[in-house]
Amino acid sequence: MSEMLIKNATVYDPINGVNGDLMDIAVKDGKIVDSASGSAQVIDAGGRLVYPGGVDAHTHIAGSKVNVGRIMRPEDSRLGLKPKTKLTRPYTGYTVPNVYAMGYRYAEMGYTTAFEAAIPILKARHTHEEFEEIPIIDKGGLTLFGSNWMVMDAIRENDQERLAAYVAWGLLASRGWGVKVVNPGGGEAWGFGKNVSGLDDPVPNFEVTPRQIIRNLAEVNEKMDLPHSIHLHCNNLGKPGNYETTLASFDICKDIKSKRDRQSLHVTHVQFNAWGGNHWGDFESKSEPIADYLNQNDFLTIDMGQLVFGSATTMTADGPVQYANARLLKARWSNGDVELEDASGVTPLEYHPQSYIHGIMWAIGLELALLTKDPWQVLMTTDHPNGGPYVNYPMVMTMLMSQKRREQEMSKIAEKTFDRTCIAGIDRELDWYDIAIKTRAAHAKVLGIVEHGKGHLGVGADADIAIYDIKPDETDATVEFDKVEAAFRRSAYTIKAGEVVARDGEITAVPMGRTYWVKTKVDNGGYDRMMDDLKMKFKNYYSVNMANYMVQDEYVERPYVVETEYK
Amino acid sequence: MQTITLVPIEQFNISIEGETISPDNFAGKSADEIGALVAYEGNFPRLLSELFDIKVDGNADAADDVKIEINGNVPRVKRIGEGMTGGRILINGDVDMRCGAKMKGGIITINGNADSWVGQEMRGGEINVQGNAAFYVGAGYRGEPCGMRGGKITVFGNANDFVGEHMCGGEIVIKGNAGIMPGLSNKGGKIVIEGNTTMPGSEMTKGTIIVKGEVEDMMPVYQREGIEAVDGVEFTKYVGDVVVDGKGELLVK
Repeated sequence: MSEMLIKNATVYDPINGVNGDLMDIAVKDGKIVDSASGSAQVIDAGGRLVYPGGVDAHTHIAGSKVNVGRIMRPEDSRLGLKPKTKLTRPYTGYTVPNVYAMGYRYAEMGYTTAFEAAIPILKARHTHEEFEEIPIIDKGGLTLFGSNWMVMDAIRENDQERLAAYVAWGLLASRGWGVKVVNPGGGEAWGFGKNVSGLDDPVPNFEVTPRQIIRNLAEVNEKMDLPHSIHLHCNNLGKPGNYETTLASFDICKDIKSKRDRQSLHVTHVQFNAWGGNHWGDFESKSEPIADYLNQNDFLTIDMGQLVFGSATTMTADGPVQYANARLLKARWSNGDVELEDASGVTPLEYHPQSYIHGIMWAIGLELALLTKDPWQVLMTTDHPNGGPYVNYPMVMTMLMSQKRREQEMSKIAEKTFDRTCIAGIDRELDWYDIAIKTRAAHAKVLGIVEHGKGHLGVGADADIAIYDIKPDETDATVEFDKVEAAFRRSAYTIKAGEVVARDGEITAVPMGRTYWVKTKVDNGGYDRMMDDLKMKFKNYYSVNMANYMVQDEYVERPYVVETEYK
Repeated sequence: MQTITLVPIEQFNISIEGETISPDNFAGKSADEIGALVAYEGNFPRLLSELFDIKVDGNADAADDVKIEINGNVPRVKRIGEGMTGGRILINGDVDMRCGAKMKGGIITINGNADSWVGQEMRGGEINVQGNAAFYVGAGYRGEPCGMRGGKITVFGNANDFVGEHMCGGEIVIKGNAGIMPGLSNKGGKIVIEGNTTMPGSEMTKGTIIVKGEVEDMMPVYQREGIEAVDGVEFTKYVGDVVVDGKGELLVK
């Protein structure tokens, strides 16, 4: 395979502690190497900004709910149109782009890896069918376990070995990377038109509480030595006053230690979970207590779930919250019942800067990122497409980097927002290094894919590199935010596994990325007990046969399998 | 004043995306420059000069001083005048779907029949259809919360079903008859139907529908609120759709 030498690169590689050094990067056979031979293809970066390829640890890019969004929003597919070329298929859509545009648009921004944040096992085949068509980027997915009958039965019977065996089997069945927990117990309660109201509210018919579900899954996750921690979408999302539940959820995992160099709990899109007040009338930001907690505890990471004004399509396994949204906003609503596993819902909506509720939500995301001192603890996401589509990441980056840019946005937002938030008083401005952490390095670390060559540019890492048309030493990002945003929107070069896949924001090659998943060996009595239970559930309750349930290898043509063992 | 005359070279069989045909795009351009604009025929990009004989008289700086005349039937050319902000388009023949979609100003006159979605999501300006209009006059695209928001559409012949669906503002006048469910889910604006129609105003939350002819199958979701005179003629006024807590007004004879 070919060699490549990137000369005069101003490199920010936080995992290896490289902070704006001018250096050369050599690539051979799709990996970063020490040096290149004379025959290598040379790219002169000319002092421009070089980051590892972007990693997105939480996004919704594939699977049945994304497709429901596409079906229910034909008007969305009128946006973002780009005709086909000899190389690329047509692009359509803004919040729910077509399958191909998903990959192209990430690559155009210098992103090379994205993890789908919710795979119901029953629908996993659909997710992988889309993965196999999303070009360029590497993918993985997190499998939903939070309202699963198998999980809740094992927890009620205090059988962690059986639970571990099921989680391992579920990850295999869905070819998943990690354990996602969405409104634990709530998805099951929604099957009866109810929800769970808090961490100690038992799930109907199962008599386990959300607290037990979170605790047991987090413990099992570490015993299984999974690369990623549990990935929690808290209870009571989308309700004013939910920050107390969020803080209490953090506490559940406080004493859990991971053998790996990572968090033991990742809580996602916390913007939607840092809400104060008792109702919409006294709705306010509670980002400060959340950020204080993060500043005092290092076992925990979160992502922003930043809101972007304009159109969004909310999609989540949290069925009840979507029903509430749709009723509140008189919006379209789709509800999904994933049999024994979870619920789901899709609702399109529009975020208006003139609505103070949306203004406060906008502020909370940024506050979380800026009030938390350690940049490794808060990942930059928009919970695509719930807070807004990922194509707006460059805008969010500039808002983190420039107070002026935030002020510009604040001038459009309803006045009432600023009595109930502290965003106006925050003068912190992140630098190039922090942004590299928040958009790549921390994502890779949180997902546990650093050792698999992602999110950094050390020797042996995957040659996923983004070169942006901007010179960090000559650019003041706090003032020239328009220029910075334009550069982040269209990378000068995106290099994926040693191949230039995008040049000045235009796709130049369409290789297919790999799909990451975890295979865990659970070698104890729990496996047999789990199989007995599972066979019974398939026989009695599922609408499909077990033989037709599991994702086969044919659906994952380019797998990257990480093996672990339960201890 | 700039007058541009387009004559279709042939009867097109494959539909053409004609959104480049608008006073805004043509203003100040020569015949060659206009001919170099692209319109997709199916999935294939074509130059306007390959599709039309183009003649230009005079010159103009702004769309307001532009008049486009299309002489001949163009029943397969869609989206003519899309998003136009001023000027005039005169179509001497039939025209395909979405003529005048999203237009903000100016006048489109169609001396023939218009296909569906004429004046789709229109914001301002005026469209006159001398013949008949098909479905969804002034409606929104599938899934779009608002159809027409401003301006006026007049259809001198008949219109088919779903006139002004999801309408949020503006005015639609149908001189002839309208098909079923005019004003479906509308949230504003005014629809006047001088002929007959069927099941007007279902799911209406705001806006006005006046039917001067006969109404067949009145939806049972309206409350009668007395008599109201419009231009000296007395109508029975109904308010609804009560199912969606609507405050729309429906005036029927």
